[in-house]
Amino acid sequence: MSKPAILSLHQALMKSFQSIENNQKVWGNVLADCSPLMVSLANLAEQSRALSNVQISNTPLRDFPDLEARLHFKILQATDTVLVKLNEKMSSLQSVRDTISNQVSAVVQLYEQSADCLDLLTVTERSATAPSVSDMLEWLQDAERHYRQQFLRRKTLLQTLRADDLSLLESAPKRWKSLESPSAEEHISDTLCKVSFFIESQ
Amino acid sequence: MSLRLLSVDPSDQGSQRCRMGPGLMSALGLSLGSPLLVSVPGGSCLCTAWPRPDLAEGFLQMDLKCSSLSLISHPPTHLNLDPGKLTPVPCPKLKGVKITLVVQSVDFKKHTPPRLVHELVKDMLRGVFVHNKYVINLEDFDVDIRYVVIESINPDSASSGFITSKTGVEIAGIQTVRHYRSQLQDQQTVPLGGLEEVSASLREMLQLPLLYPGSLSSLGVSCPRGVLLVGPPGVGKTLLVRRVVGEVGASLVVVRGPEVVGSRPGESEEKLRAVFERARYAAEEGPCVLFLDELDSLCPRRTGSSAPENRLVAQLLTLMDGMNQSDRFLIVGATNRPDSLDPALRRPGRFDREVIIGAPTLQQRKAILSVLCARMPVCPSVDMAELAQRTTGYVGADLSALCREAAMHAIRENSKSSGEQAVGMKHFQEALKAVRPSCLRSSLGRTELPPLSWDQIGGLDEVKLKLRQSIEWPMLYPEAFVRLGLCQPRGVLLYGPPGCAKTTLVKAAASSSHCAFLSVSGADLYSPYVGDSEKALAQLFREARACAPCILFLDEIDSLIGSRSNSQTPNSVQTRLLSVLLNEMDGIGLKTLDRSGTEKILQAEGVEESRTQKQLDCQEVCNKDVMVVAATNRPDCLDSALLRPGRLDHIIYVPPPDQQARLCILKMCTKSMPVAADVCLEELAAETELYSGADLENLCKEAALLALQEENMEASAIKHTYFLRSLSKMSPSLTAQQIQTYQKPPR
Repeated sequence: MSKPAILSLHQALMKSFQSIENNQKVWGNVLADCSPLMVSLANLAEQSRALSNVQISNTPLRDFPDLEARLHFKILQATDTVLVKLNEKMSSLQSVRDTISNQVSAVVQLYEQSADCLDLLTVTERSATAPSVSDMLEWLQDAERHYRQQFLRRKTLLQTLRADDLSLLESAPKRWKSLESPSAEEHISDTLCKVSFFIESQ
Repeated sequence: MSLRLLSVDPSDQGSQRCRMGPGLMSALGLSLGSPLLVSVPGGSCLCTAWPRPDLAEGFLQMDLKCSSLSLISHPPTHLNLDPGKLTPVPCPKLKGVKITLVVQSVDFKKHTPPRLVHELVKDMLRGVFVHNKYVINLEDFDVDIRYVVIESINPDSASSGFITSKTGVEIAGIQTVRHYRSQLQDQQTVPLGGLEEVSASLREMLQLPLLYPGSLSSLGVSCPRGVLLVGPPGVGKTLLVRRVVGEVGASLVVVRGPEVVGSRPGESEEKLRAVFERARYAAEEGPCVLFLDELDSLCPRRTGSSAPENRLVAQLLTLMDGMNQSDRFLIVGATNRPDSLDPALRRPGRFDREVIIGAPTLQQRKAILSVLCARMPVCPSVDMAELAQRTTGYVGADLSALCREAAMHAIRENSKSSGEQAVGMKHFQEALKAVRPSCLRSSLGRTELPPLSWDQIGGLDEVKLKLRQSIEWPMLYPEAFVRLGLCQPRGVLLYGPPGCAKTTLVKAAASSSHCAFLSVSGADLYSPYVGDSEKALAQLFREARACAPCILFLDEIDSLIGSRSNSQTPNSVQTRLLSVLLNEMDGIGLKTLDRSGTEKILQAEGVEESRTQKQLDCQEVCNKDVMVVAATNRPDCLDSALLRPGRLDHIIYVPPPDQQARLCILKMCTKSMPVAADVCLEELAAETELYSGADLENLCKEAALLALQEENMEASAIKHTYFLRSLSKMSPSLTAQQIQTYQKPPR
């Protein structure tokens, strides 16, 4: 009775770990693309501040009509472009998160369906090559929580930026960088190492 | 088997897992991730079951992601739990939840669009098991949304459930963490006695705009927004504000004078503006009180020069004017020196109302004492009413010091003989000696008063009776006075030849009526500066009124205050002092500040009160005056204006002792002396015509000294001959002619 259940559960777990492994790389690449965009966002904010500090009528440029408004418009346009790009990156991050979430919830659902025929002894049984089902489920949930948290924090950061609050924009790359949590990423890599024998064994 | 509660593993933070041994899990019939409710002392917590990584039994680690309110501020630590406290609960998928958000900063609340907030919260709550009325801790996400309070869930048949991506989330309100925490903390209130009326009026001002916003705006009136609390130190102004704020559930922004003042020019004003801004933010979430404690230091009277305080005062004035109708916060200022405030502050529109809290009256003291003693093991024999009577002039802080002192006495005594820990009346008596009223602490008229009973004064029964009539009776039997339409005499003048116990009589009267006693002499009042003496006398009256009922004793009043008719210099200090005294006695100089307690008028009420209660009421209403008692041996030197009824009503002649009285005095004086059997005091009394009380006392002393002189130091008794010999050496200090002058009344 419990044998086929555990087998199918094992297969689902394996698939999930493989998908996490792939998505981890995608996630890292997208984040790497994001940081130059954030820096340029801060740069634009700095330009905007510089523009507001200068009195154009006191400089030789005063002969150009509407120079300040035009420059302001240009900066805003550039900001918009950067934000659109960032938004694209965010949606790819979201898709990564959704994939992982769906995978994990599918595995949990599968476990819940067969929970009646799996006693605790079976799910906590470990071997030299394969961790126990409970451990693997836990790691999956941890990974899923990590990506959810990361996505939510980054999304909040981007969504709370306002064009009129320059200091917020200027500090954005620093805050974006501080959101990284290398230890959690390492934890996921560790997990993937721990289950590598299990994945290869099948 | 009991479970040891350990703190949660860092990697489990925010996972809502409850780690336990697999054996316990199977015993409870739980599978991986099944929801269960853990009850700990003080609250409970909804978790998902998970086996420990090391599979050890006997330990419990739970993440408090979803817990009851009280666990948020006081998380459980280091305790042992019974496995029976763990109960599996069914958690169906929810259709919808209604929540209140608690966010970190006001900026987030103001600037984030609701659509985004909704999206974020929905994301954060997905996959969480929730319980109705519990708080979800979202601190692990490290964003501005800190907590989510579950207000209700749908379907409401279940008390707990699971939130999926299909669950509808409705946000009922958003609060800031500061406001939320202050609400949690205000559960325990501070005890407060005797300030019901003031606190009711404060509460009304806070709650009215909240409860009936529509009716206020339709009436077109604005609710008062500024209250100035005025009262002597220690009456409980600060405590009152904290208490009312706690009761109403408002948030409190406190400004302490020194905190606001900065060293750079303009810094103080900036800080003050920031405080108002903070109050404005807090007011957006609910009632808020901005409390300016010790307002006199923050806002002194502006002077001509450009002192930095002037700018601060101006800033406060503009800030108070700049408050518009939408700022729903109340400004409460507290001060004990209202006269040193800038007058511009004290007008409607700024501090609309001024609440004067005087020194507590009898009833209020009783209420305060019963509040203070509520948590002390007090003997049932302790009578609060009597204690309240004995503590005239004590303010709340003094009373609490009194109770503490009494408790300390009880502890000291009980530690010697390990008896039961209870504070008795005798401990309070001891404490009364140590704790004196603080409003008289720096008063110039404060005197030590050794307790003296009427019996210690020989003779003079008639004078004693008169004194009791005018001093003791109005204090002890006010009911009878009211019934007969009598009013309390304002003043009593004792006159008579020197050495006839005038001062002693007053002392006895003061100690028997248990009221405050102030005594002043010329040396206290006179000063080289013009106007200083008058100020001191007026100040004395003010202090006396603050701790009414009070006896103000002016000894040797003839030297203190002259007469206008026969003085050589018409504008001397004495004349000016006299005019101050006349004014003060008429009550013209009465300032609102001097009032003790809150105003109360005796009236016939329909409700039948108990007799003692009525008596207390009477005492409270009738005894709020200061009685002036003056003594002189030159009544002819007094101004006639002082002697008319309404000022010194009762003029009592203290005569030189007659034969009967002299006998009594001699008996009193020889009480402590070993007198030989042959001494005939009656004979001595008969032979000491024109001797005053002081002379008689001296006579006894002389006789005793003579005995020592004659019989060396071994003398054991004083014989009659010694009395006669010392009598022959002495002459009376009074003369018949002198007494004759006293016979005709001074008025």
